[in-house]
Amino acid sequence: MTRSTRIVALAMSLGLAAAFAGAAPASAQAPKYGGHLNLMQREDLSQGFAVHETSTIATSFPSMPCFNNLVVFDQSKRAETVDNLVGELAEKWSWQDNYRNLVFFLRKDVKWHDGQPFTSKDVKFTFDMVREAPEAAAKLRINPRKDWYTNVEKIEAPDPYTVVFHLKRPQPGLLVMLASGYSPVYAAHVNPASYRTGCIGTGPFKLKEWRKGEFVDYVKNTDYFMKGRPYLDTLRYVVIKERGTRTAALQAGQLDVSFPGETTKTAAEQLKKAVPGLVITPVAQAVSDNIILNTKKPPFDNPKVRLAVSYAIDRRALISAVHQGGAVPGASQQPKPYGVWGLLEKDLLALPGYGKPADMKAHAKKLLAEAGITPQNPLRVEMSTRAIAMYVDLASFVINELKQVGIEATLKQVETAQWHPMATRGEYQIGANLTGLGVDEPDANYYENYACGSPRNYSQYCSEEVMKMIEQQSQELNPQKRLALVSALQKKVEADAARPLLDWRLDYFTVWPHVKGLVPHDNIYNFGRMADVWRDKQ
Amino acid sequence: MKTYIAQRLGIGLLTLLGMSIVIFGMLRLAPGDIVDILFSTGGYVNPSERAAIEKELGLDRPVWVQYVEWIRQIVTGDLGKSYRYDLPAWEIIRPLIPVTLELAVLSLIVAVALGVPLGVISAVRQDTGLDYALRVFSLAGLSMPSFWLGMVIILSLVAWLGWIPPVTYVSPRENFWLHAVQFTLPALAVGYRSSALIMRITRSSLLEVMREDYIRTARAKGQSGRVVIWRHALQNAILPVVTVIGIEFAFLIGGLVVTETVFNLPGVARFLVEAILWRDYPIVQNLVMFIAIVVILSNLFVDMLYGFLDPRVRYGH
Repeated sequence: MTRSTRIVALAMSLGLAAAFAGAAPASAQAPKYGGHLNLMQREDLSQGFAVHETSTIATSFPSMPCFNNLVVFDQSKRAETVDNLVGELAEKWSWQDNYRNLVFFLRKDVKWHDGQPFTSKDVKFTFDMVREAPEAAAKLRINPRKDWYTNVEKIEAPDPYTVVFHLKRPQPGLLVMLASGYSPVYAAHVNPASYRTGCIGTGPFKLKEWRKGEFVDYVKNTDYFMKGRPYLDTLRYVVIKERGTRTAALQAGQLDVSFPGETTKTAAEQLKKAVPGLVITPVAQAVSDNIILNTKKPPFDNPKVRLAVSYAIDRRALISAVHQGGAVPGASQQPKPYGVWGLLEKDLLALPGYGKPADMKAHAKKLLAEAGITPQNPLRVEMSTRAIAMYVDLASFVINELKQVGIEATLKQVETAQWHPMATRGEYQIGANLTGLGVDEPDANYYENYACGSPRNYSQYCSEEVMKMIEQQSQELNPQKRLALVSALQKKVEADAARPLLDWRLDYFTVWPHVKGLVPHDNIYNFGRMADVWRDKQ
Repeated sequence: MKTYIAQRLGIGLLTLLGMSIVIFGMLRLAPGDIVDILFSTGGYVNPSERAAIEKELGLDRPVWVQYVEWIRQIVTGDLGKSYRYDLPAWEIIRPLIPVTLELAVLSLIVAVALGVPLGVISAVRQDTGLDYALRVFSLAGLSMPSFWLGMVIILSLVAWLGWIPPVTYVSPRENFWLHAVQFTLPALAVGYRSSALIMRITRSSLLEVMREDYIRTARAKGQSGRVVIWRHALQNAILPVVTVIGIEFAFLIGGLVVTETVFNLPGVARFLVEAILWRDYPIVQNLVMFIAIVVILSNLFVDMLYGFLDPRVRYGH
C-alpha cells in the first residue's frame, strides 16, 4: 500500500465510521455511576467460563467482565498494538536477559471474587497448566492454546508479587499473546473444572447467575482493584439463538449492545435506517475466510493444483457477493489498518488470486493443464464445509469460481460435531473454512495454523523452510526486521497455497447511544472487560 | 374402568420401554458425540485428551452398559448429569417443563376457541360467502408455518411499534401482565395453525352428522336450529374433533421448537434441539421420554373423554 492509498484507506475507514455513527458526540462527558446494560449473546456459553478450554467468542466475550489478564490491550483504544498494552494484574513488567526472561511485578491490592488474595501463585498455576508443564498443579480437559507457550521453559514465583517467565529463546510476541481475551488468570485455589459452571475471577464484575440457555447476570465487584470502577451496577448477557429475534431485540431497545462479529454490513445499514440514533462502528473481526486443502492426498498433494485453486478465486468478487463489501482482502495476517502485520497492497496484488480476475483464471487453467487436468479430463472434488449459513455461502461462491477453471466441486455440508474431527484427521479433499485469530500476533497464527504437526493445521501443510521462517520471525527483536520477516512468511505460505486466504471479515459493532466507553477493537476476542463502560441514561 | 386404565398404563409402560431403546439407539447412530463438540469449540482434536473425556463421561463403556445404567437411573428417579453443563439433568429440565406446558395449553385454548365455533359456522353456512371466507382463513392457517408467522409478528412489531415482547423469560410472579404478553403472541401464532385443522375437522364432521336422519327428525319436531346444532349435531360430531385436539396437544409439546426459538422462550422443545446438536445424551433421552409420557397420557385422557362425550362408548365391559 503506497502512502497515498494508505491515506485513502484510512479516510474511507474514518468516513465510514462517521457515516454509521451519525451525530454521536465524542464521549467527553463525566462518566455516571449506576445502571444496567443488556448485551447480546449469540448462543449459550459453550464451556461456561472455562476460557482456557475453548476457542469461541461465545465463551470469551461474556467471560471478560469476570477475569483479568496480566496485561491487556487498552480497552479504550481500538487498535491492538504493543504500544497499547496496559497492565492489569501486573503493575509493570520488564524484559530481561535479552528477551529471555519476562518479569511481571504484580498488584498487591487484588482479591478474588471469593475474598482470597491474588498472588504470583495464581499466575504460575494458570500458565503452568496451559503450557502443560510437568510440575503443573492441574490439567485442562481441552487445551487449544498450548502451542502459544511452547517456548516457555519455566515459570517462577520468587515472591507473592513477582512472576518470571523464563523462555527457551527470545520471543517478544509472548507479551502480546498474554494480552488476549483467551489469556485470563485463573485462581489457584479453585478447581479449573469449576469454571465450566461458575466463575471466580478478579474482574470488575462478579457472576450472579448463569441460567442455562437464557442469560448470564453479573453484579458490580465493589472490591475491584481499580478504584472507582466499574461504573455500571449490573450486566446481563441475553442468549438469543435466532438471528432475526436478536436484531429485533437490539432495534427495539431490549438489548443495548450487539454481539461482536454478529452485525453484517447489510444488517447495519438496515438498523441505521430503522433507528438512526444507533452508534455503529465498523471494525475488523480478526476472522478470515480461507480454503483448507488436504496436502497429504491427491489431487491437492500437487502444489500446482493447490495454487490453481488459489488463482481461481476472485477475492474482490467474493467480498462483494458474499459480504456485500463487509470484508477486506488480505493474506495470512490481518491487513492494515486493522492489523499490524498485514501485507501492503502492492504485495497483495502479486499474490495468487488478487490480480485481474481474467488473468488469474487463465493462470489457474495453465497450472491445471500442467498437472494433467484439462476440459477432457476434468478434476472432480468434494468441497466440505460446516452446515452453517456463513460457511455454506462461502463454499458455494468458491465452487462457482472453481467451475470456471474446470474444477467440478460438489458441496458436502458437515455438521458441527463432525467438522473439526474430520478436518483434523484429514478426511476431506478441499474445505471452506473460517479462522479466528485470538490475537494479532504472528506466533499465535503460524504456530497454530501452519506449523508442522499442529492439530489446527488442517491442510497438514509442512515445510521445513516455513518452520525456519516462523522460528526466525518469532525471535527477532527489531520490530522493522520482524515485520519484513513476517511479510516474507505471508508471501511464502500464499505462494505454496498452504491455506489460501480469501478475506478478513468486518463487524459493524452496534450500541445504543446511551452506552458510553465501550470501544470495539479490531479483534472480537480482546475487548469487553466493561470496567470503563457507563450508561448515560438511567 | 379401572382395569381399562391399568391395561392402558401397562401398554404405555411397554411403549416407553420401546421408545427408550429407539431413542438410545438413534442417538448413538447419529455421527459424533459430545466430545467431538467440545473439541469443536477448541478447534482441534487430540486423541489422548479425547479418550480421557470419554472415560470421564462414561462413554467408553459398552453401549448396552450405558443403556442399562440409564434405565437404572430412571427407575431410581436419578436422570443423570448433563454432559454439557455438568449439572444434574433434572435441574436443567425442571424449569423448562412449565414454559412448554403453558405455551402448549394456551395455544390449544386459542386453537379450540377459534377452531370449533368457526367450524360450526362454516358448516351451518355451507357454500355461502362466509363459508368460503372461513375456508380460506383455515387454509391460510394450515399453509403458514407457525415459526414463519411468529417471525412475521416479531418483525412487524419492531418495524411498526419499535417494540417486541420480552426476550428474557418473565415469570407470572415477577410481572403477570408482561408474562401474559410474552405468551400471548406465540400462543396466537401456534394456535392459529392448530385452529385451522380443528376448524376443518369440525366442519366436515358436522356436515356429515347434519345429514343424519335424527337431525332431520329433530328439525321436523320443531326444535330450534341452535338446539339442533349445539345439542344434537355437535355432540355427535365432536369425537373426531376431540381426537384431533388430543393429537395436536401431544404434537405441540414436542413441536414448539421454532416458535420457542423465535420468541426466545426457554422451553423443552428449544432446549431439546440444542441438546441434540450437543449430543448431550442424558438431556435428550430424558426430554424425549418426557414428551413420550405426555403423548401417552394425553391419548389416554382423550380415550377416557370419549366415554363421557358419547354414552355408546364405555370401557371395561
